[in-house]
Order: sequence, then C-alpha cells, then structure tokens
Amino acid sequence: MDAAEIPLKAPELATEVSLSDIEPIERALIDASTRVPVLMFYTSAIAWLLIGTLLAMLVSFKMHAPDLLANVSFLTWGRLRPAHVNIMIYGWASMAGMGTAIWLMARLCRTVLRHPLLLMAGAGFWNLGILIGVGAILAGESTGYQWLEFPPYAALILFVAYTLIMSWAVLMFRFRRGEQIYITQWYLLGAFLWFPWLYSAAQLMLFVVPVQGVLQAAVGWWYANNLLFLWFGAIGLGTAYYMIPKVIGRPVYSYHLATIGFWTYALFSSWTGMQRMVDGPFPAWMVTASIAATILTIIPVATVGLNHHMTMQGYFPLLRYSPTLRFTVFGAISYTIFSLLGVLLSLRSVDRYLSFTQASIAYTHLGLYAFVTMIIFGSMYYIVPRLVGREWRYASLIKLHFWASVYGVGLMALMLLAAAIVQGVELNDATLVFNESTQSILPYLRGRSLAGLLMTAAHFIFAFHFGLMLFGLGRTATVPTFLNPVEDEDENSEAHL
Amino acid sequence: MKGLFPLFLGLFGTFAFSWVGLTLIPNYQIGHLDPQSDEEGTDVYPLPKSGMAERGRRVYTANGCFYCHSRWVRADYAGSDIERKWGDRRSAPRDYIFDRPVLLGKMRTGPDLSNIGQRAPLEDENAAPAASPPPAAAGAPAASPSAAAAAGSPASPPTGAAAGSKAPPTAAGPSASPAAGANSPAASAPASNTAQAPSAKSSLGSENKPNEAPVYSAAWHHRHLYAPRSISTDSNMPAYKFLYEKRPIGGQTSADALKLTGSDAPPAGSEIVPTYEARCLVAFLMSLNESHPLNETKSAFGAPAPPAAAAPAASPAASAAAPPAK
Repeated sequence: MDAAEIPLKAPELATEVSLSDIEPIERALIDASTRVPVLMFYTSAIAWLLIGTLLAMLVSFKMHAPDLLANVSFLTWGRLRPAHVNIMIYGWASMAGMGTAIWLMARLCRTVLRHPLLLMAGAGFWNLGILIGVGAILAGESTGYQWLEFPPYAALILFVAYTLIMSWAVLMFRFRRGEQIYITQWYLLGAFLWFPWLYSAAQLMLFVVPVQGVLQAAVGWWYANNLLFLWFGAIGLGTAYYMIPKVIGRPVYSYHLATIGFWTYALFSSWTGMQRMVDGPFPAWMVTASIAATILTIIPVATVGLNHHMTMQGYFPLLRYSPTLRFTVFGAISYTIFSLLGVLLSLRSVDRYLSFTQASIAYTHLGLYAFVTMIIFGSMYYIVPRLVGREWRYASLIKLHFWASVYGVGLMALMLLAAAIVQGVELNDATLVFNESTQSILPYLRGRSLAGLLMTAAHFIFAFHFGLMLFGLGRTATVPTFLNPVEDEDENSEAHL
Repeated sequence: MKGLFPLFLGLFGTFAFSWVGLTLIPNYQIGHLDPQSDEEGTDVYPLPKSGMAERGRRVYTANGCFYCHSRWVRADYAGSDIERKWGDRRSAPRDYIFDRPVLLGKMRTGPDLSNIGQRAPLEDENAAPAASPPPAAAGAPAASPSAAAAAGSPASPPTGAAAGSKAPPTAAGPSASPAAGANSPAASAPASNTAQAPSAKSSLGSENKPNEAPVYSAAWHHRHLYAPRSISTDSNMPAYKFLYEKRPIGGQTSADALKLTGSDAPPAGSEIVPTYEARCLVAFLMSLNESHPLNETKSAFGAPAPPAAAAPAASPAASAAAPPAK
C-alpha cells in the first residue's frame, strides 16, 4: 500500500467507523466499570441461593417428616420457613436482581459506573442486614409479619444499604447520555423508587407507629404483593424487555404496547394485596377492590405477553442455542401463567376452596422462581461473560441447570396445586375430620420434596459453573457458549451481539 | 417515552394511589376501633390479654405457629369454618384491636385457632392433673373423663377433630346444651370446680355436630405440644420438646409434670415439666376466644352465645399464671 493514500482515505474511514467501532469499545468500558460491584452482588446472591435452597429442602422434608431435627429450637419448622423465605427474597432475588439492574442501567444510560465503592458498601451492608435478620429469626426474634420477619434493627441495616445503592442510581441517571428512556429503564426506575417507599411505609406502619389490629395484616399483604410485583416483577419484566430483543438482534415489536403494559401493570398490580385475604375480617370493599385489580392485571399480562411473542416471532429456533434466551423466554411465559393463576385464585368461588391450602405456596413459587428467578438466571448467563471476559465453560452444565430448574419448578407447582385441590375440597367438607386434609396431601408433599431435590441440583450446578467463571476458568473464545452446535453461522453471528 | 418528569410523576402517582387506597383509607375507616360494651359498660369485649398470654404471643410468633394455624373464621357462606366449629360467627376487625402482631395466618396445615381457648375447661391448675386424660390409645380423645361424666352422658365421650376418626353426632351435645344459658353464673366464676366445665364448653357445642371438640385443658396443650402424636397418631405437627425441661424428680412429682406414656415418657426418676415459655404459650392459646357476640356480625344458629363466654377469655390466662386459691 502506498503511504500517500492513507491520509486521503483515513478521515472518511474514521467518520464511518466511529459509530460502529466505538460503540463496542464504549460498551466494554461500561461493562468493565460495573465488573466488581455487579460480581459482588452476584456472588453474594448465589451464596444466599445455596443456603436458602438447603433450608428449603429441610422445610419441605419436615412437612412430611415432622420429627426430623425437631428438637432444636432454631431448627424448628416455624423458624426455618421464614429463614428460607427471607433468604430467598432479600438474599437471592433482591441481590441478583439489583446486580442485573445495575448492569442494565449502566448500559442503558450509556455511562460508566461512578463511585463503585458506594455500591460495594451497599452490598456489604445488605449482606450484613440479611445475616443479622436471619440470625434473629432463627433465634426466635421474628416479627410475625410474613416477608417482613426481620426485626426492625436488621431492617434498618437493609434500609441503609438500600440508600447507598439508591444514591448510586440517582447519580447514574444524572450522568446518562441520550434523551430516549428505554422500556427497561421505566421498569428499573420504578422498582428503584417503589421499593424504598414500600419498605419504609411498611416498617413505619408496623413498627414505628403501628396501625391497629387487622390493618397490620392489610399492610403486611399490601407489602408482600407489592414486593412481588413492583420490585421483583418489575426487575424481571425490565430485564426480559432488554434480553429478548438484544439476543435476537431485533427491536421490540411495539412501543405502544409496552407503554400500555407498563402503566396498567403499575396501576393494577399495586392494588392486589388483599387478594390473599378473601372473606377475611376486613371491610368487604378492600378485598373486592383487590380482586378487581387482580382480574385487571390480565391487561398488562396480555400486552406484555403479546409484545414479547411478536418480538420473538420467527426467531423461536434461537431458543435452541442461546442460554439467555431460553431462560428469559421461559420466565416470560411463566409470568403469564403466574398471573393467570393469581386471577384464578383470587376469585371468591375458587378461593373458598383454595384459600388456606398449598396453592398460595405454588403461586409464590411460580412468581418468584419460574418467572423472576429464571429471568435473572438468563441475565446472568448474558452478563457474567461480559464481566469476566470469559465464556461459560460447559454447555452441558447450562442445559442441566435449565432442565433441572424447569422440571423442578414445574413438578413443584403441579404437586402443590394438586395437593391444594385435595386439601381444599376436604377442608370444605365439614363431615371429614381435619386430619384427613393433612394426611391426604402427604404424597404430594413428598413429590414436592423430589421437585426440590431437582432444583437443589440445578442451583449447585449453576454455582459451580459460576465459580469457574469467577476464577477465570471460563473459555477464552470470541463466540458465546451455545447450548447446541450452531449450523447456520450467518444467523447467529448477527444475533448474538 | 420522552422526558423524565412524566415518568416520575406516573411512578409516583400509581404507587401513591395504592398506598392511600389500601392502607391509609382503611386506617381511617377501621384503624381506631374501641372495644364494644353494653349500656352499663360492664360487658366489655375485647379485653387486652394478660401479661403471660401476651408473652405467649411472642412464643407463638417466634416459633412460627401462624404459618400453619390461621386465626380467622370466615362467614358461613364463605367456607365450612363455622360448620367445623372453629367459631360461631365470622371474625371481625374488632376482634383484633389489641393484637400486636396480628397473626391472621394464611394456611391451614393445622386447624384454625380463633376459638381454641373457648373450649378450655373452667378448672384451676391444681385440679387439672387429677382430671387429666388417661393414657391415650390411638385416636382417643384427650378430654377429661370426669368432665364428660358430669355432663350426664357417660357413654358419649366427646370425640374431636383431633381424634382422627369420623365421629357420629354425640349425645353429649344435646344433653349439655340446655345448660348453656342457665349456667352463666357458674361460668362467670372462673374458679368453679371441674364439674362445671362442660357447660362452658357447650356454648360452642350446641346442636347436631359431627365434630364435638375435646376440652382443651392446659394439660392437654402441654402434652400436645410436647408429643403431638401421643394425642393424635396422624397429627402432622412438629413436637416442641425444646419448650420443656427434663429434670430428676425431687421427692414428689411436680404438679405440672406432663403425664406421658410409652416412648414419650421420661426415664424413671425424671419428669418433663414445661418451661416458663411453654406455660406462656399455653396461656396465650387458652386466651384465644372470639365467641363473644359482636354487633357488626351475626352469630351462627341465630342465638348469640351466652355473655358468660367472655369470662374464659381472660380467666384461663389468669388461672394459668397463678392458680386461684379456691
């Protein structure tokens, strides 16, 4: 090549190249800036996931073997259960969700993460809060409000931690580039604003200036359902709105549908709390309003589901290759199932039978596991390689993780729903003695323990795989790890950005 | 979406709507209820629980009892709760005004406990061991036999939900029910002798019930907490042995030692006694009683429960704490 040609051509090339070439570099810089805090959130989350899973196994086995480890006060069923639930909610789902949310926000605000120390301190305090809270529950200090069992001193630490994380989010928004606010950011901003309000309102109304009598239960369920929908659900849906279009390399089908889906979601799902207390000692309008709101959540479910489906249209074969897509799409489908089950359970005619049964456990697990956790798993499969600079080592382990999780949660939901129907019908027949209803669900509860074993296997496999990545033992490759060998090179080189 | 402002406004607005709607407005509506009383201001319901029962609530909370036992009764059109004798009227917000934390519960892996204290015998602690259940064979009711005999129908021991069998309607119900109204003076004197126990119970157990509930004495609760399957073989409840102490018998067996048989019995020379926590928990359980009629709800079977039923709400706790001298 002649040296004289270079200066003539270079300026032209530079302007052309800048857009397409600088972006990946910029993205890599942003990813690098999030590396330490996000990995810290993920590592803690996975550690809590393993602990919570082991506790879950104990809780599940004790349901059909009540004498198992029963004689130690801190291993009694009534303490292990809240310990498991709180670890899963605050330790696993919140921490992993925040990790994903941080990474997504940095990407979408197109800005490097400033003040990572704030975030890391936040993660540290959050872990401390959970540790103290779970210790308190096991020691018998539970507050007695479901999902808020942490005593106020542990809750305060969580809140301080959250403030640190939150202040970072504000900073990031302050330095964002570009006017457009993407759908994912709506959900994440919502989650980040709603959570502190929700948490502080519940703490204030239950512990600082406690409300009277049954209103505590109303506040408790208002909190629990909003945490499920507006915190976990919002993070899950926001992540799905990013991952699905990103992996298949195609824009979201409709912005209008997304807008409708988002606002109806925020409006209706925040009113569903009293759906859990149908025919309870409350003014009837509260329960009725919640049932109506639950039925109306069909609108966001339909719009979001349709939007994802239309985005995926024609790209479903990619589920064969991409781990992220497979987990995320499974989670998105579960969102529909979970919501429709919620509608069904809230109807007075159904609730009459299923109100006090295992159905509520099935419902919660469909929401927190099949929907939110699976989407978070999907996002981790996407994000972790970008943080550690390695690709996942074994496609077979990802497949095992996926199928064990899917069969685990599927079997669990089926077992619990079948148990719920049996239990509900028998409870409602006053000619049967009470014990009949607990005896006849034992086989289903054993089936649930089996499902739990599958999920435990899935989590340990995932944790092992994640550990490999963390210690730099992933593959060094330019292409992501596909679940199955790719035959058609063109399609996927474009798709997996 | 353009602009941050409308987004923030929307996020703020939707959530504020739900917060105001589901917590603040209800708080305005039912957040400041007072106990109900009659014109003279004597028959007050509900009353705060005794110190020991309040402490028992903490034990109940700490060990997660409410994850399996609900504490609210649905109306007769909305479930079989009243048919199951878990109460004779639906629960109302006023029942819970002194509860903190309020432990409504969402599951019935165990039976509802709203009125478990209603079936407590009106006997003092010292009398309880004397009338305590015989060594229970599988499914035998743990009701005190002397109480059943006193009801005038020795051939029909109360067979309860805990007994694990489909019980035919017992003769005890009809025979005891006429006494329900008439016996209120006796019931209002908590330290009355054991023979009066069934009449207090019968305010709950009136006509035609397939599940006549056993009398839940303090001794019954202790034994049930210590070894649930010694009372009901197919119970699924975990044992709470850590709430009990094993100690060598010094001279004479303690009055509150558990009467245990078979594999649950302590080795010879030692006895099982409840800790203070266990006694608080039982005091709490025996204080659970929503049988007092409320103006805002209709009681089942038309007739309101006798006013005397209010007495057990406070008295078992008191009697558990310090047995009356009588």
